[in-house]
Amino acid sequence: MFRAIRPAALYRSAVLYKATPAIVARNAMALNFARTYASAGLARSDVEKRVLDILAGFNKIDANKIALKANFNADLGLDSLDTVEVVMAIEEEFSIEIPDKDADEIKSAEQAVEYISKREDAH
Amino acid sequence: MSVVAHRNQVLGLYRDLLHHSSKFAAYNFRDYAVRRTRDAFHAAKNETDPVKIEALIRNAEHQLEVVKRQSLISQLYGGEKLVVENPKNQKILRRH
Repeated sequence: MFRAIRPAALYRSAVLYKATPAIVARNAMALNFARTYASAGLARSDVEKRVLDILAGFNKIDANKIALKANFNADLGLDSLDTVEVVMAIEEEFSIEIPDKDADEIKSAEQAVEYISKREDAH
Repeated sequence: MSVVAHRNQVLGLYRDLLHHSSKFAAYNFRDYAVRRTRDAFHAAKNETDPVKIEALIRNAEHQLEVVKRQSLISQLYGGEKLVVENPKNQKILRRH
């Protein structure tokens, strides 16, 4: 008995579903959400600004010397321990984890920006 | 052990210690662990005596185990946030 009724009931509900404008609108919205989320890449200028802001947050760094190309050690006067902290702050800001061997390669804001732009999971 | 290997090991320990220290749920323990780690590593950064360096590394490894264990326990029994922990101060690594 149920088997006979079910397909027809399903069909009817499918028709109803399609016919309701409110549901169509809601579906379209959900689709939009999904699209925005999937294509949310980080603009390079945005990444640069956030990285420079992190550097500006460190009291040890002379604000006038902060630049994209400034080397953490040679130009900003940070030792290796401070550099570890800068990298950790970047990890925190972009919600990523940077493995040790990649972290060793980050020696300037520019390199940090470069690395973040390669990471798809940064946000 | 070579100087480079030492260097990487120490930086790795520093990183791990800060990482796990910042996971304490309790504000006081968290702040203390981060500050203590930072102070101890900066205080010993110019150490050249290999015997002392070895001892410091052993100690750091031991402390790392303690911090890992205790921060985990702290997370299990996390209480309410303190008044001083306002959202502006939520960045766990206080810049200095």
